[in-house]
Amino acid sequence: MNRRSALKLALSAPLLASRRAWGQAKTITLWYPAGDITAGAAHFTDKSFFAPFEAKAGVKVEAVGLDYDTMQQKIFAAAAAKNVGDVLFVDGSWVPGFLKEEMLDAVPDARAKAWLDAVSPEIRTLSDYGKGKMWGYPQYGIDIYGLTWNKDHFKEAGLDPEKPPRTWDEFRDYAKKLTKRDAQGNITRVGYAIRHVGHPHGVVHKHFWALYGAGASLVDDPLALRGGKVNFNNDGGRAALKLVLDMLDVDKSTSLNFPDPRAALLKGLASMQISETVSIHERAPKEAPGLKWGLATPPVRKAGDKPVTLLGSWLYTVPKMAKNREAAWQLLEWINTPEQDFEMCKKYAATPRYKVNWDKEPFKSNAYDQALKQIYPYGKPLPVNLGLNGVMDAMGGAIQKTWHHEAKLEDALVEAERAANKAIADAAK
Amino acid sequence: MVHSTRRLIARLHARRVWHAYLFVAPIVLLFGAFRVVPSLQTLLYSVYRVELLRGRFTFIGFENFRELLADPTFHRAAWNTLVYVLVIVPVSAALGLLFAVVFDTRFPLRELFKALYFAPMVTSTVAAAVVWWWLYNPQFGLFNVLLRLVGLPIQPWLMSSRTALLSIILFSIWKGLGYNMVIYLAGLQAIPESFIEAARIDGAGAFQRFRRITFPLLAPTTAFLLIYNSIQAFQVFDQVFVLTSGGPAGSTNVVVLDLYRQAFERYNFGYAAAEATVLFVLILGVTVLQYVYSKRFEVSY
Amino acid sequence: MWTSPLRALGTLALLVLVAGVSVLMILPFYWMLVTALSPSPDVMAFPPMWWPSRVTLEHFQYALQKAPWLLYYWNSLVVAVVSVGCSLVFGLFAGYAFAVYRFPLQNVLFLLILSTLMVPVQVTSVALYVLLSQIGWVDTYAGILAPNFASAFGVFLLRQAIRQIPTELIEAARIDGAGEVRIVLSLIAPLVRTMLATVAMILFLGSWNDFLWPVIVINSGDLRTLPVGMALFKDPYGNINYGPLMAAAVISTGPMLLAYAVSQKFMIRGIAMTGLKG
Repeated sequence: MNRRSALKLALSAPLLASRRAWGQAKTITLWYPAGDITAGAAHFTDKSFFAPFEAKAGVKVEAVGLDYDTMQQKIFAAAAAKNVGDVLFVDGSWVPGFLKEEMLDAVPDARAKAWLDAVSPEIRTLSDYGKGKMWGYPQYGIDIYGLTWNKDHFKEAGLDPEKPPRTWDEFRDYAKKLTKRDAQGNITRVGYAIRHVGHPHGVVHKHFWALYGAGASLVDDPLALRGGKVNFNNDGGRAALKLVLDMLDVDKSTSLNFPDPRAALLKGLASMQISETVSIHERAPKEAPGLKWGLATPPVRKAGDKPVTLLGSWLYTVPKMAKNREAAWQLLEWINTPEQDFEMCKKYAATPRYKVNWDKEPFKSNAYDQALKQIYPYGKPLPVNLGLNGVMDAMGGAIQKTWHHEAKLEDALVEAERAANKAIADAAK
Repeated sequence: MVHSTRRLIARLHARRVWHAYLFVAPIVLLFGAFRVVPSLQTLLYSVYRVELLRGRFTFIGFENFRELLADPTFHRAAWNTLVYVLVIVPVSAALGLLFAVVFDTRFPLRELFKALYFAPMVTSTVAAAVVWWWLYNPQFGLFNVLLRLVGLPIQPWLMSSRTALLSIILFSIWKGLGYNMVIYLAGLQAIPESFIEAARIDGAGAFQRFRRITFPLLAPTTAFLLIYNSIQAFQVFDQVFVLTSGGPAGSTNVVVLDLYRQAFERYNFGYAAAEATVLFVLILGVTVLQYVYSKRFEVSY
Repeated sequence: MWTSPLRALGTLALLVLVAGVSVLMILPFYWMLVTALSPSPDVMAFPPMWWPSRVTLEHFQYALQKAPWLLYYWNSLVVAVVSVGCSLVFGLFAGYAFAVYRFPLQNVLFLLILSTLMVPVQVTSVALYVLLSQIGWVDTYAGILAPNFASAFGVFLLRQAIRQIPTELIEAARIDGAGEVRIVLSLIAPLVRTMLATVAMILFLGSWNDFLWPVIVINSGDLRTLPVGMALFKDPYGNINYGPLMAAAVISTGPMLLAYAVSQKFMIRGIAMTGLKG
């Protein structure tokens, strides 16, 4: 049996290997992170989303949901093996890492120019990676970070529900008033919810407003692909970390024991939080139908400063090693026409990207969309430096270490600066 | 006559050697191709700067290792792994022994309880960790709810760098208790009654009997468990990944998770390979040490 | 005479201790089941509700809708059956060779096989992935199976078991004219069938619960195994969907726990045996 069966197994292995039946219509794959991580990816599970394109192009589109935490790893391993999805819908903060490995196809120059001319300014900021170069198209419904608060909690605490805190001092004051405790003194509701666990990138995303609002930044030149130095080991960087640290230790108006800020707000465990507005907008109707929430720019360090917030981005990209590059770009072109933009944003209640669509209903009179539009001018994207992964890891680590009292604020920043600058230098080689 | 017998024996012998190679060929080939070669490639990568997608390999000697030794993140990961191993290995074995002794006596429903203790072992670490993740939730998880019920202060569990590693350790102990207990139980039951009886007749008390007879005779079992638990503990990954992803603030980062991150998120293959090499050497060293040490104390009967 | 009530008391104390700890051991599973069957507000209640106020299947419906669990079971089963089958066959023959024969490089080869136990899959995963892609095995059953076609553990245990067989039996069979292959299949295999069953069970368990390698090599939704499907259900950022999450956990662990309930005596005894041989 031994020899014969071994032979049989060896022969059948290729059969086992080829799971794809031959002779079916060409299929292109689109990889996206499944789950609640990206509210903006919700439409990929809708089977009718691709139907018009499939009919027109004679190509089937298979949307593959991946786990967010392992997605970067899968993309990398798949690219190395030349077996990666044809379209990758990725977190913008991963893009510099991909660029470092020269993994992405650039948007053809002519198309890029047409796009940049036709979209609103904040979309232009997100799309342009320097000198009009585009590596992908940003998603529908821009991912901007804003301050959201529970209006009922405000009323309960004697605060005007329509007036959010405008300065850091006011912010701390409000948070103190909004915090609730039980009989034993355990905090049952935090005034302000913070993100401090999970992937370091996410931690940095939700700290961005404070860091930049204090006058610091992640790197000195946000548009430089190579080189440069970090800019957070200074007064601004320290002040931003200290703000939350004081709220933790002195005011006791926030706590490390609460879940993700968005979940906390939706569950009534927090009164204020600063993160992706689109998440609250999409999830509140389902998860917290009774919630009355407000939306505004984050508070500034002192009166008179301009607010700053993060323009998060998710990009449709095409990897160089995709097997069906042409069809992939066809799909992207289709998804990103003004007509599709209009249809999809209307259907999924997202803000449009084309200037011309902003003038149309329902966006023109939608309160939420218009409120977002007011915030857009203050949004800044993440830097494009090829060493961004390392910079975010370092900064995220510093934030976590400080707030968890694993290290002193100053020391954490010094260490982060060292590690981040090294990452930048390594990426520039 | 003698000549042909010798040739016959030679032929038989040759046949068997040929058979031997044939029989081990599948395993050797499969392992060679899918385990050994990739391991060697990783070893090779550790002295290179690897840019896999650009196909660029630059020899940099021990640069990766030097970086590793200077990196505070790696120090923390190594430290956490060490703490984890030093706690889990003896505690699991000790608890296993304790309960094995208990289960060696007779009491009603013994088999039922044994089955209950062992149940966690058959579930996947991922699924069990997801359940514990829910149990550890600071607001609504059962553990804190129980603490509140009895008036004790609630704990942050996985959310705080002070308690996260301990929380993972508790999970691992829970998961492995049944296994340690069952192994020790088998060892206990293999000890001939006569030995214990003889000691009892000689007037030795229960504790004396345990210390002088039972425990030394359990040495091979103890050695096995210590080695096995060590290897598993050094390689811990699934539960850390599911429960905390190495956070918060790196307090649960362990070597395997760190090298996974370095390889697949930072794309630092050479560096990750260096880490993997260090880990492998560590595991090998500890295993060899334990094996040698246990051989010196082996008691056979 | 006075020892009898004392002993009874001692036994009672023991029983209380054992029962108490067993509650701790089972509590997570119990709570998992209760959460999966209770309406959402119940699980946030304080004091805790140990029993659902009303049994609801909504979480299961949601979980079943969100992911093709039956498909995940099938994939896990295919992978487990093939990997265990191959491991048993290859392990039996290799174990026999190492136990009975003397041949050059024997110890080297054996140590080589054992050494694979100490190198975690994380170490080899990328190099292995690249290799597999070059032969087109990525995102296929074969790819998931690649590092699992054989088991060092199995070889080790089977070698131990076969060593116990008296050589006279083998010699006798040889003298009777049986070929080596026949000897392994007709003589050795039945003699070590308990060990074979034990190895099969341990390997099956390992394959069923394997997480990291499948998550690396599987891209298509329709190829996912059970743990991969389970991990996808969890949102690490404070998802408040505990009901469906626990329902998914029940779906994941249920069958294995049921199989265990039926065969636990065998399972426990088998695993205990492996410790003895170690």
